[in-house]
Amino acid sequence: MAQMPALIPKEVEIQRLKKIWLIVIAMGSTAASVEVDNFVDGSLHQTSIRDSAFTPAHWWLYSHFITLPLGWAAAAIYDRKVPVLRGPNNSINTGLKMTILGYLATMFTIGVNEMWHFWFVEEIFAVPNHWMFNMGVVVAFMGALAYVVRVYARLVELGAETPGENPYVAEMYKMALEGKLYSRAIP
Amino acid sequence: MTLPKGFGSSGAGGASSSDVERMIGRRVENMTGMITLSYIAAWAATFGGTAAGYFYYPWAYPTNSGHYAFIVLTIIEAIGYLFCVKVMEEGSKKNSNGLIAGVIGATAVGTVILSLYVGF
Repeated sequence: MAQMPALIPKEVEIQRLKKIWLIVIAMGSTAASVEVDNFVDGSLHQTSIRDSAFTPAHWWLYSHFITLPLGWAAAAIYDRKVPVLRGPNNSINTGLKMTILGYLATMFTIGVNEMWHFWFVEEIFAVPNHWMFNMGVVVAFMGALAYVVRVYARLVELGAETPGENPYVAEMYKMALEGKLYSRAIP
Repeated sequence: MTLPKGFGSSGAGGASSSDVERMIGRRVENMTGMITLSYIAAWAATFGGTAAGYFYYPWAYPTNSGHYAFIVLTIIEAIGYLFCVKVMEEGSKKNSNGLIAGVIGATAVGTVILSLYVGF
């Protein structure tokens, strides 16, 4: 794997990466629970076409729009203590940038969504007001994946985690360490 | 290696072990108690959230749906708790398997009892 410069002692870096990992596991649990709520929410809309944002199946679904941005903000703040996770020109990590942009799009679209549903009382997944909403979540998750893989790859490089045996997975970790998981041009 | 301001001796030389300790703060393998309390708090909050649903909005959220959500979320939280403690303690001499088994077992029993007797 690529040799990264040691800017902080190895032991310190492992401890800090694992603290980021704690946040990631907590957010992973949240994301997994929302996958379950996709079915709960779907069954609600079988009987109740359009209802308040405050019905229970929506509390569960929308809570992750609060939890995940706050969690990624916590990760972004703590992330500054790990030099290897910095983005180009010592900016914020590119994966975290994508995550923040994705959630900003989602937050903006919550307002658009409510305006649309004021006039059109339906809940069809593919209507235009949902487009940026859903694409924002996808962009946020893509950025988050790039970041998570990079954290894990660094833990592997430092000897704190077991490397992947599958050569394709190992290649993905190598690309992530070089900051090129999604683009060879943008580190 | 350049150390942050306030670390190392008079600007030159590497980090001493006390410097490393100061840079680390609380070690992740010593966070098991905090993680355990967070898990129990999350579990209690999950019960509270679902109970608020079926007590205040029974027409929109039947008790059975609430208990379904409570059980599924408890399983997901337990997996997250397990991962947190195991990953934080790996590579150290600490072992909290007994604590994990006790806490997850207790919340499992609690979940079953609450799902059987509350909200009907």
